[in-house]
Amino acid sequence: MNVDELVRDALREQADEQSPLASGFADRVLAVRRRRRNRTIAGAAAATAAVVAVAVGVPALSGGGEDVRPASEMNKSDIIAHPDQSPPKNMIAAGDTALAAFFVYDLVKQSNGDNIRTRTYGLLDQKTGKYRKVKWAFLDVAPGMRTAAVLEGELPAKRIGLLDMITGKVDRWIPVDHGVAFVEFSPDGQKLLATTYSKNPDRNFADHPQSVNGKEEPGPVASRTGFSVVDVDTGEEKWHKAPQWKDEWGFFYNSREDFQWSHDGETVWSDTGEEPFKEFYDLNGDKTGIPDSEKYVSYAKAGLSPNGKLIGGEFAGRGEEISSEIVDARTGERVTTVPGQQLLAWADDERVIAWGCDPKRCGGKGEFRNQLILLTIGSDKVVQLSDFRKASADYPGRWEPVFAERWS
Amino acid sequence: MGHRGRDTGLPEEEKVTMDAAGQESFREFVAGRSSALLKTAVLLSGGDRHAAEDLLQNALIKAAGRWQRIDEPEAYVRQILYRQQVSRWRLKWRRRELTVAEPPESAGAADGVAGVELRLVMRGALARLTARQRTVLVLRYFEDLPEAEVARILGCSVGTVRSTTHRSLARLRALAPELGALGPAAVEQKPSADFSPVEVRP
Repeated sequence: MNVDELVRDALREQADEQSPLASGFADRVLAVRRRRRNRTIAGAAAATAAVVAVAVGVPALSGGGEDVRPASEMNKSDIIAHPDQSPPKNMIAAGDTALAAFFVYDLVKQSNGDNIRTRTYGLLDQKTGKYRKVKWAFLDVAPGMRTAAVLEGELPAKRIGLLDMITGKVDRWIPVDHGVAFVEFSPDGQKLLATTYSKNPDRNFADHPQSVNGKEEPGPVASRTGFSVVDVDTGEEKWHKAPQWKDEWGFFYNSREDFQWSHDGETVWSDTGEEPFKEFYDLNGDKTGIPDSEKYVSYAKAGLSPNGKLIGGEFAGRGEEISSEIVDARTGERVTTVPGQQLLAWADDERVIAWGCDPKRCGGKGEFRNQLILLTIGSDKVVQLSDFRKASADYPGRWEPVFAERWS
Repeated sequence: MGHRGRDTGLPEEEKVTMDAAGQESFREFVAGRSSALLKTAVLLSGGDRHAAEDLLQNALIKAAGRWQRIDEPEAYVRQILYRQQVSRWRLKWRRRELTVAEPPESAGAADGVAGVELRLVMRGALARLTARQRTVLVLRYFEDLPEAEVARILGCSVGTVRSTTHRSLARLRALAPELGALGPAAVEQKPSADFSPVEVRP
C-alpha cells in the first residue's frame, strides 16, 4: 500500500463515521447570522467581549514546525512602548491597537524622466515580534494582525496577496479585473476595499509637466477608475466606477485619491475638492450623503473612537501650546483637548495615539521632531511609545505609521 | 486600520436580504447536503467535530448572505470551506486546527500493524498537519480533484499544490514513523518543482 492510498482510506473512514447534524441546523445558521449582523452594527462592547472570550481559552500551539504563537499573543501588555526606537524595531502597542507596520517614502527617478514616489515598509513579523523590511508596493494589515493584504511591483497591481504575518509568505493571491493601488481591510476584516487606477497614482510623468517654483518637473495624472469591494473568503470582486473629483477645467488635487471605509463599514468615502469635501458611496456603488455618524469627522486620522462617540480632531494649539481637540461625534462640539500634535489612532474609547513633539523644542523646526505618544482623555498623562522620528540607514526617510487592531 | 461598527439606526429587517422563499430553499439545501458538507468539514478540521460544525456554520452564513444570487450553492459553500480553512488570518480557525491532545501513538512496526490501526495512526498524523497541508490532501485524496482544480479552488498555482502535497506526505511520514514501511506515493517519486508564492525576504 502506498502512503497516498492510506491517506485516502483514512480520510474516507473518518468521513463515514460522522453522525448527521442535528435537525434545525439551517435555523441555527440563520439565527447566528442575524445575531452577527446585529453585532457588527451594534457598538464595540459586544464585539470586544466576544473576542476576549475567544482569546481566553487558547490552547498552547503544538504540531507542525510552521506553527508558532504570534508575537502579539505572547505579549498582551496593555502598553508596549519602545521610547528608544525610531524607526521602531520591536512591536509597539497600546490598548486595542498596535503599530502593525510603518513605511518611508522615496522619490525614485526613472530613466524616461518620470519619477515614482515609492514606499518601503517595515512589517511586523509575528514570529519574532520585530518589524522586518519588506518589498511590497503597498500593504494593509487585517484586524488581529494575522494577515496583511499586499500589492506588488509597480502599481496598479493586478492581484492582491494575502500574506501570513507569521511565515511572511503569501497564502493566496486574489486576481482582480481592475488595477489596484490601495487596499484596506473592512472593520470586520471580511472584505477588502481596493481603489482602482488605470495608471500608477504615485508616478509623476515627464510628459505631463508641472511647474514647481518656476521649474518644470514631471507631473501627476488623474487616473482613478473607481473602487472594488473584495470578499476575502471567496475572492469575489465587485467593482464600481468612480473617477476622482475634477473641477470644470479639469483641475484635480492629487493623483492618489483613495477610498476608505467609513467607521461602520457600510459605506466608503474619498476626498473631493468642493463642499462637503468628501463623497460617500454605499457598497453597491451608489452615492449616498454623509452618514450622520461621520458628519463631524475631520481630516485628523484618528477619526471616530471605537464606540463612535468621540472624534479625534484637528490641531487646536494656540501660540506655543501643542494640543488637538476631541469632538463630540453627535454635536460636533469640542469636548476637550489633549496634548498631541496629530491624532493618529484610538487605542480604546478613552485613549488616543498621536504624534507629539518634545515640549521643550516644539517651536519652529522642532515641530517636526516628533514621536508616537499615548494620550488619555481628561488627563495630562503622556506615555512615550517610540523615539523621535529621524531617518536611518535602513529607512532613509521619515517613517509613517500603519495601525491595526491587536485582537480580531 | 479598521474601525469597529456602531448602530446605524436601521431596523434589522432592512438589512436581511433573504426572503421567505429564499429561507425555504436554504433550509432544503442544508437538510439535503449538510451531512456531505460536514464530512468534508470534519476532515478539514483534523477530526474536530465541534470545529467542523463551526466551520460549516460560518461557510453557510456566508452563503446565506447571497443565497438567491448563487447558481451552484454546493460548489460555493465548499469553496468557502476550503479557503476559510486555509486562510490563517482569522484567529479562531487557526487556533482550533492545532488543538491536538496527543501525538499519534507509536503502534509498532508497520508489518505488525493491522490496516485499521494504521488508518488510526494516519488520522492522528493528519490532525497534526497545518490547515493548509491538510486541506490540499483532502482535496486531492478525499475529493479526488485534479491538481489544476485544487489550484483553482485555493487560488494558488499548480506548482504550489504539487509541492504542498509532496511536503504534506513527507510530514506525515515524519509524524508517524510507522508509515515508513509504506511505498512512496506517485507524487513523491518524481522531483517536484516548488512554485511557492512570492516570499518576502528583503
